Amino acid sequence: MNIPLESLRPCLDGAMPAVVATSAPDGTPNVAYVSQVHFVDARHVALSFQFFSKTRENVLAHPYAEVQVIEPGSFRHFRLRVQYLRTETAGPLFEYMRAQLAGIAAKTGMDKVFVLRGADVYRVLDIENVDPQLPPAPPLPDALLALRRAFDHLGACDDLALLADRALAALTHGFGIRHALLAMLDAKLDATPGAPGSALYTLASQGYPVSGVGAEVALGEGLIGVAAQEKIPVRINHRTPDYTYHAALRVADPVLPRIPLPVLANPHSQIAVPLVHGDRLLGVLYAESEQDAFFSHTDEDALVVYGRHLAALIDRIAALPDDEAAPGALPAATQSGAPLAVRYFAHDHSVFIDNDYLIKGVAGSILWALLNEHAAHGRHEFSNRELRRDPRLPLPDFADNLETRLILLQRRLAERCPDIALEKTGRGRFRLNLARPLALGAA
Amino acid sequence: MTLQLTPDQVAFLQGPMSMNIGAMGRDGWPCVCRAHGCVVARDRRSLTVWLSAQRGKNILDALDAGSAVTLVVSRPATHATLQLKAGSATRVAVSAAHKLASARCVAAFGAELDALNYGTQMSALVNAALPADHLVGLRLTPEVVFDQTPGPQSGKVLAGTLRTRT
Repeated sequence: MNIPLESLRPCLDGAMPAVVATSAPDGTPNVAYVSQVHFVDARHVALSFQFFSKTRENVLAHPYAEVQVIEPGSFRHFRLRVQYLRTETAGPLFEYMRAQLAGIAAKTGMDKVFVLRGADVYRVLDIENVDPQLPPAPPLPDALLALRRAFDHLGACDDLALLADRALAALTHGFGIRHALLAMLDAKLDATPGAPGSALYTLASQGYPVSGVGAEVALGEGLIGVAAQEKIPVRINHRTPDYTYHAALRVADPVLPRIPLPVLANPHSQIAVPLVHGDRLLGVLYAESEQDAFFSHTDEDALVVYGRHLAALIDRIAALPDDEAAPGALPAATQSGAPLAVRYFAHDHSVFIDNDYLIKGVAGSILWALLNEHAAHGRHEFSNRELRRDPRLPLPDFADNLETRLILLQRRLAERCPDIALEKTGRGRFRLNLARPLALGAA
Repeated sequence: MTLQLTPDQVAFLQGPMSMNIGAMGRDGWPCVCRAHGCVVARDRRSLTVWLSAQRGKNILDALDAGSAVTLVVSRPATHATLQLKAGSATRVAVSAAHKLASARCVAAFGAELDALNYGTQMSALVNAALPADHLVGLRLTPEVVFDQTPGPQSGKVLAGTLRTRT
């Protein structure tokens, strides 16, 4: 091909409808509009299969077609000679196209009509620039430069809590992203990642009235859940009322108390990028904007690199050794006031303070263990190492999970119950500070 | 007796439309090209559609080889879409009036895209991409008209003899 398919990616974002020409076995031509021509790789595109149509009937009988796409910033047309290969009805490609179609459908007022039945994969055999006399579209903002600025801001960091906050702030410096959150994979207490019931929990956020720290997203649901389940970036360029793709989706167990995700009510652009280190999913970076088409395909590429870098940093911090020496013991803070009623529910490790939901899961069980240690032995100083060895705690395998749970717990306490505080005193060491006496009760 | 388009269909075809014409190339590949508007004959039994001689070389070659032809017309604001099919098309001279009519069709299409926020100055881009010079006129007599508006009714025959389903 004289024209690389990669150079046509601006034409393949669903901004302008494409058309596909096919022919029946008797040679009768057919032309149909197609909502989505999706870039798969340097040799393949996928077309959205939404209706059982003449186009579909034709390509199943005669798998050769011509697709005409338009570059939005120039109105240059390109014609792709393609050969139909297969239809995918599940998996990463299908899920990405399903999410993106929801945005396209909403933009075009067809959200009740456009439903993806399959992703029809075609091999691209030739590309023709129909309008060589027209100037190309103006170049997109330099995503590589944006990535470099983001890395510069991120810098070196050995503290996971600081890294989480910096990672989001760097998005503003690099990409102009104002609304974002970091969700970590919750390797369930008794389930492997990816198993039913797995979820992600919000560790940090930026640009929202409330932090939403601790808010959960079920794996496979919504943009964040799909990105996590399929380990793919997912980008929607337009506002969609299709609740399936709102980030603020159902929690893993809807009957339990929930912390709402802090996301925008009507984002016009959304992107979710998996944090993958090696082949291990650590979480998802989610960003959104009130502007249409805020994230280009080059932003998507850059944010994928950013996500991988971030995952490597998280993994590195988790592998750092804890401080050996305990800090000098400080006198316990004076407790005063009425006792805080702390209730613990063992079946889901949820903790309520004065009847208000605080946290559940691993973080809940950690808090309960700390408070009981304090009640039984008057202890204030703790180490990560002892928590990892504590048989009462259903900790997942990965070391970074303990640190992220402690950060989650520390932030939830700071927001919801500042009378109980976790103070970091060194790598792998922290202090429990109590401003009020406690009344512990387990259900 | 040939098919007669309804007045509503005529009004639709001459509105602010996105138009594409398709044929089957002599090498067996389907081909497509954007059209620059159309005008319906007074008897509503044929229409003349314009396309760029340069951009439409593939279509013209296919028609010279005896291909059938299809015209798809869609209104961006509503997605209402018609597909008209004919067994052939004949080339007709492009008059000054035709050029004016084509320019009006293209301008209306561009204005529609502007109104739908398809990007800044989309109409300027459309007008630059679809000039009214070097046009070729193709006259076709539709044999079947299909409703191709997205949805469950897509493919419904609105008029004509059903040879194939869209």
